[in-house]
Amino acid sequence: MLLFVARRLLYLIPVLIAVSLLTFFIASLLPGDLAYTILGDQATPENVAALRKDMGLDQPVWVRYFGWLGNILQGDFGRSFRTGQTVLQAVAERLPVSFELMILAEVIGLVIGVPLAIVCAARSGSAFDRFMTGSAFAMLSVPAFLSAILLIYLFAVELRWLPATGYVPFAEDPAANLRFMVLPALTLALAEWPGIMRVLRSDMIATLQEDYIALAKAKGLTPARILFVHALKPSSLTLVTITGINIGRLIGGAVIVEQIFALPGIGRLLVGAIYTRDLIILQGVVLLVAAGFVIMNFIVDLLYAVLDPRIRHGHA
Amino acid sequence: MKAAIRSSALARIFLAAGIGVALSAMPASAQKSGGSITFGLELDIPGFDPLKVGVFDTSAGTAAAAIFDTLTSLDEKGVVQPKLALSWTPSDDFKTWTFKLRPGVKFHDGTPFNAKAFKENFDRQKDPANKCRCAFYIAFVNSVEATDELTLVYNLKDPSVNLPALVSFPSANNSVQSPTAWKAKGDDYNRNPVGTGPYILKSWAAGDRMVLEKNPDYWNKGRPYLDRIVLKPLPDAQSRFASLQSGEADIIWDDEFDADNIMKAQKDPKLKVHTYVGSGAQVYAFNTKVAPFDDVRVRQALVMALDRKKMSQAITNGLAIPASNPYGEGSWVKCKDDGALPEDLEKAKALIKDYGKPVDFKMLVTATPRGRTVGQVLQQFWKRAGANMEIEQVDQATIPPRAFMRQFQLTPWRIVDLADPDIQMFANFRSGSPVALANYSNPELDKLLEQARATADTGKRIEDYCAISRIINKEAIWFWTFQNTYYALSSAKLKGLPKMYSGVIDVSGTWLE
Repeated sequence: MLLFVARRLLYLIPVLIAVSLLTFFIASLLPGDLAYTILGDQATPENVAALRKDMGLDQPVWVRYFGWLGNILQGDFGRSFRTGQTVLQAVAERLPVSFELMILAEVIGLVIGVPLAIVCAARSGSAFDRFMTGSAFAMLSVPAFLSAILLIYLFAVELRWLPATGYVPFAEDPAANLRFMVLPALTLALAEWPGIMRVLRSDMIATLQEDYIALAKAKGLTPARILFVHALKPSSLTLVTITGINIGRLIGGAVIVEQIFALPGIGRLLVGAIYTRDLIILQGVVLLVAAGFVIMNFIVDLLYAVLDPRIRHGHA
Repeated sequence: MKAAIRSSALARIFLAAGIGVALSAMPASAQKSGGSITFGLELDIPGFDPLKVGVFDTSAGTAAAAIFDTLTSLDEKGVVQPKLALSWTPSDDFKTWTFKLRPGVKFHDGTPFNAKAFKENFDRQKDPANKCRCAFYIAFVNSVEATDELTLVYNLKDPSVNLPALVSFPSANNSVQSPTAWKAKGDDYNRNPVGTGPYILKSWAAGDRMVLEKNPDYWNKGRPYLDRIVLKPLPDAQSRFASLQSGEADIIWDDEFDADNIMKAQKDPKLKVHTYVGSGAQVYAFNTKVAPFDDVRVRQALVMALDRKKMSQAITNGLAIPASNPYGEGSWVKCKDDGALPEDLEKAKALIKDYGKPVDFKMLVTATPRGRTVGQVLQQFWKRAGANMEIEQVDQATIPPRAFMRQFQLTPWRIVDLADPDIQMFANFRSGSPVALANYSNPELDKLLEQARATADTGKRIEDYCAISRIINKEAIWFWTFQNTYYALSSAKLKGLPKMYSGVIDVSGTWLE
């Protein structure tokens, strides 16, 4: 197992280097000169030249890349030229919001998706199954920005049950925090459950054909026990896989949802940095998010190994 | 800014200290103290240290108007009123202005406000070593001197007839900040601003909420009315409006591109639409040194081919107000004849025919949905007149360098809402200025610009500025599409919102009914 972890960790290094390269070069390809952005509309060519020199912008791009990478390896991700905040400060302030949002969304997605998948698998081909599969497909096609606005109009403007925008930290007032988080998390979950449900459903239908299920039935176990224990357990790998893949989608979705619901998360930080050309924040955040995603996938890989000994021993 | 100071006689009037007192002693019958409001801003505020942020956008302006004070303010008629300054007098040539400051004012941290504190603010922005983006906007001021505890002298490079009005706007330059605070807090000062204003920053969660609490020791007794103002950035226009409808926000920023919601608010008796048409305009400059714009007929043809009403309909549901000169409704410059060319497609076609050669050119357009829409509408107008415009999409930050280096044929630009047209008109049209984008030189125009900036008589200045507008319109070196219009939507219960000068929504004097 240790060897397995070590090998996986080694794989992370080239992936993270590739991520840092992409992040840096894409950001440096953005049109517009950072010096002009900082100095504003009325910058004189002399001031711009001086600032470019100060910031090292007159250096070749690869020199700047290694300078940036060197600082990062020493834990210095840079400082926003607009707010004076360091990237790490900004991310630390905002991460809990996005983290909570994504966990809630995933939990709601699982709470809706898993039971529906089990019921549909148990009665595959029934009217209910066909209806749910159809609705899942429909829900999958609804973009988050649309469902967000529809939810706001229904629950905030018409019914006035929940707030349309805003945020309170969990530590300050947990109940209020959850009230603010319900709609954003639900918006994300609405796009999550169909995937969970459809994959798990087909997985379980296949499992239900297995001999050991027939044996369980023959032994006279209750249908509920067969479904939830015997049939669901082998599908746990599938669930882990979907959850892992969903993290990437959730990060993307969070960017939009945080913008609409005005949640002060990583997504807002990122969009704000793009609008204001805050390249230092932009590069730093993209790198951290990408690294976070890669590490989450690494954890998913480890979970596979825990759940399925065949993978751990390299036989899969 | 309607009539800052109308005549030279008026300009020299030593505004009595009593006015400030009189203002604060307005009948308090209507105003109610107490309560709290939530303001839905467009953008996250990056901070308040001029050295860090350079300029305040409208979101920061709303906060700045509450946390800081400026030397002066503008009343509803656009007349300059005392704030931190009690009175002011110009020298004969309008190159020196002496301000007498209000005694007994303290910053929120207890530091006394005086001429020295003001000078420290100014010098910090002006110091070339600090490389402040804000320095550009005070380039016309040579120095500020504190001649005694409460006397401040502005030494200007060029005459400025309306300086007291120009320093009223709560910009990064004009907002007076506590020198002790920025020295003590260093890098953290940006997000922990200290002013003398009616509200004190209580807490600020990045990207979320800024809580401002009433300043109990505010120099203007009886003010402010609200106990608390919460500022929240709500970046999405739809959910921002939904927050107003559902009552989570009491007032929100808006603009004419959100026409649907503005119209909805107009019909809703529980909501109120506040709007202000400022000075300045959305403008475009031709590079008159390159073909085909080296020929006046082509320039005139393109301007005549515009149909601003139709354009307004297409991009803002008719909310955008057409502009025929660079001054706008909010300016005190009103022209009987601004020399605007007629919108006449047939004449435009004839001019292009007369020119004889094909009219093909590129126009810089900001790569945003709005920029593209505007570009496409213009493209259609000009196609009908027989000219082919190619849209060149560029990043917002690319436009200034391209404009300065004159690497364009036609570029969008903006004349912002300031209390006096001089600064921008002189920069945009005086031969040889770096922002005289049209590359156009005309001795008569130069003479009028020189004259207008050094004349105290408002009537004469208006004549000069109208003559300037006539030359520019006739020569069609720049053209104007729409006026700078600002919107705020609020609950009908919110009262006392002043005019949105320069687009700043100042809620620091409002109250709840």
